[in-house]
Amino acid sequence: MPVLSVRGLSIDYITRKGPVHAVRDVSFDLEKSETLAIIGESGSGKTTLAVGLIRLSPRGTKVTSGEILYTKKGLTTDVRTLDDDDLREYRWAEAAMVFQAALNSFNPVISIWEQFNDTARAHGMKDRRRVRDRADELLDLVHLDAKRVLPAFPHELSGGMKQRVLIALALMLEPQLVILDEPTTALDILTQRSIIDLLKQLRERLGFSMIFISHDLSIAAELADRMITMYAGRVVEEANVEDMFYRPRHPYSVGLLRAVPRVSGALGSVASIPGSPPDLMRLPKGCSYAPRCPYAIDECRAADPPLIPVDTPRHQAACIRWKHVAEVLGSNAEVPVAEKLA
Amino acid sequence: MTTAVAAKDQVRTAMDPRRYLGDTWRHPVARAVVKAFLTIWVTTTLTFFLIRLMPGSPVELKIDELIQTSNGSLSYEDAKAIASGLFAINLNAPLYEQYLSFIWNLLHLDLGNSFLSSGTGVTSIILAVLPWTLFSVGTGLLLSFIVGIGLGLLAAYRRDSLLDRVVSTGGSLISSIPNYLIALMMILFLGVQTHLINFTGMRGAYTSGLQPGFTPAFIGDILYHASLPITIYFLTQIGHWILSMRSATLSALEEDYVTAARARGLSDGRIRTAYVGRNAVLPLVTQLAISVGFIVGGAAIIEQTFAYQGVGLRLLSAVTQRDYPVIQGIVMLTTIAVVVANLAADLLYSKLDPRIGRAGGAAG
Repeated sequence: MPVLSVRGLSIDYITRKGPVHAVRDVSFDLEKSETLAIIGESGSGKTTLAVGLIRLSPRGTKVTSGEILYTKKGLTTDVRTLDDDDLREYRWAEAAMVFQAALNSFNPVISIWEQFNDTARAHGMKDRRRVRDRADELLDLVHLDAKRVLPAFPHELSGGMKQRVLIALALMLEPQLVILDEPTTALDILTQRSIIDLLKQLRERLGFSMIFISHDLSIAAELADRMITMYAGRVVEEANVEDMFYRPRHPYSVGLLRAVPRVSGALGSVASIPGSPPDLMRLPKGCSYAPRCPYAIDECRAADPPLIPVDTPRHQAACIRWKHVAEVLGSNAEVPVAEKLA
Repeated sequence: MTTAVAAKDQVRTAMDPRRYLGDTWRHPVARAVVKAFLTIWVTTTLTFFLIRLMPGSPVELKIDELIQTSNGSLSYEDAKAIASGLFAINLNAPLYEQYLSFIWNLLHLDLGNSFLSSGTGVTSIILAVLPWTLFSVGTGLLLSFIVGIGLGLLAAYRRDSLLDRVVSTGGSLISSIPNYLIALMMILFLGVQTHLINFTGMRGAYTSGLQPGFTPAFIGDILYHASLPITIYFLTQIGHWILSMRSATLSALEEDYVTAARARGLSDGRIRTAYVGRNAVLPLVTQLAISVGFIVGGAAIIEQTFAYQGVGLRLLSAVTQRDYPVIQGIVMLTTIAVVVANLAADLLYSKLDPRIGRAGGAAG
């Protein structure tokens, strides 16, 4: 039984000019202790999807269809049907979120300790001493000195420290699910590394499931068990990490992988994807990636291709040309994509 | 050898008066206090000379008055002799002498005596009118602040609702009407046309003949007399607070930490007070502290309209009668109040916003 099962979720932004289809018919399952990485360019709907999972979408957003099924102790509920109190309980206690802008995730005028205490009280932990013990334990877990961090105000901590504090805070109520929205984007490369190592350690110790949103494929590959590629609000490919890296079947996934510089590869092997993502208000007819796709044929522009199993049943891609992509990449499974095409 | 030099250096550092003054100057509070005194001195000096530049000296005004009241039986020379004798200060002395003696007295905390009611100290005149102004303008200000930030917060939370439109349109409308116009309209509609309010009975700060004291009757009377000025101060200031709070709340609501607080499952009440409200109200607290400084100056026209014996009314009459010491005293008091309020605002802000006061604290 998956912890989280998303079925046909669509989210629109309501604007003066009409609805913007930010997330279109997204489905995926997340098993217990599994890490799912969602990758894609800016504007591909990753963040909209992530905040949609805890129903925290900003004003002017509308979930037009779909289900978000959450399972705990064999009991499945649709997050979309929760009332305000249950939703408040679901947030953080069941699904915690580490934001893209962890730097601004803390209220600047109250101390870190107050923010731990606020979170605890909101979920019924009234005993300050127990909260304090828990905070000490969590900060220890993320390798921070509680005595120093708790009385501090957010501006007194560095970016990396704040991100660690937020991760500690996310684990406070032992959630089954932790959603991380580009948790390392604003950090320098060394701090990024330590955060990634930390997340690996924590996941092993605590066994929570993770949804990891990133445009950084190398980080995603390191943490994830399964990967989803999103383009123009749709899932265009879903696979386990190895398949995605060595045997991608959607041209967009191939493009993303080629855009990553490699230590061993020649400089010339890095290639960006020409063009830019489509206007989500006026999507092109047929496959929305077709205008940028080197393998596109007339048929691609006729109808939006559905997700179909390729190679194995657990590997899906929304491309009618996937066999052609497979041929171009060749059969050598062990060589990374970028080098095959170099 | 080197230690001896170092020790000598240290002694010199400790003794050097220039170094010592420099260190003091670098201390923010010391600097603020020095600046405050400088501001007060400059304003006082400017006032001193400016009021003496006004056409018509108090002696001339007094001579005119004496001639008129005597129905022509007094000659100009006689009147001049009488008038000059009435004034304790020699207004014919050179300006710099007058200025020096004024500053000398000021340093002894002596503001001098009023020209017109001779023998009455300026200090006691101010003390007699100040409480009324502090009470009426202060109450109006506090009420408008509390109600204004409440309505502003509510309007921001219900953005684009009917309530928001009514509150923010009303706020910008009312804040653009000058207070004396509101006062005149009230008198016209509530007093003259509909006779709902007896304005003549409400004139003054309290009904004359009533024994001042902490009796229910007297307190009730004070409130009755102050109700209209307070209402007008309330109405003229509330618009500003509503609009400022509304826009501050709207931007606070967009902050990531508010979204994060929602994700953490905090209750709406806690988010509204500690996360949105507290951050939105920060800049307004400074504005409030500065406004408090302006209370002391009172609202001359409103006090005149309702014959409310406050600082503003007293200042107006002092200006028309060229009562130099009283003008000087009141202007100086207002300056001090504004300067002190600004200082307080700075200190308060650093207390309320940890990012200001603790700069250079634990880590970068």
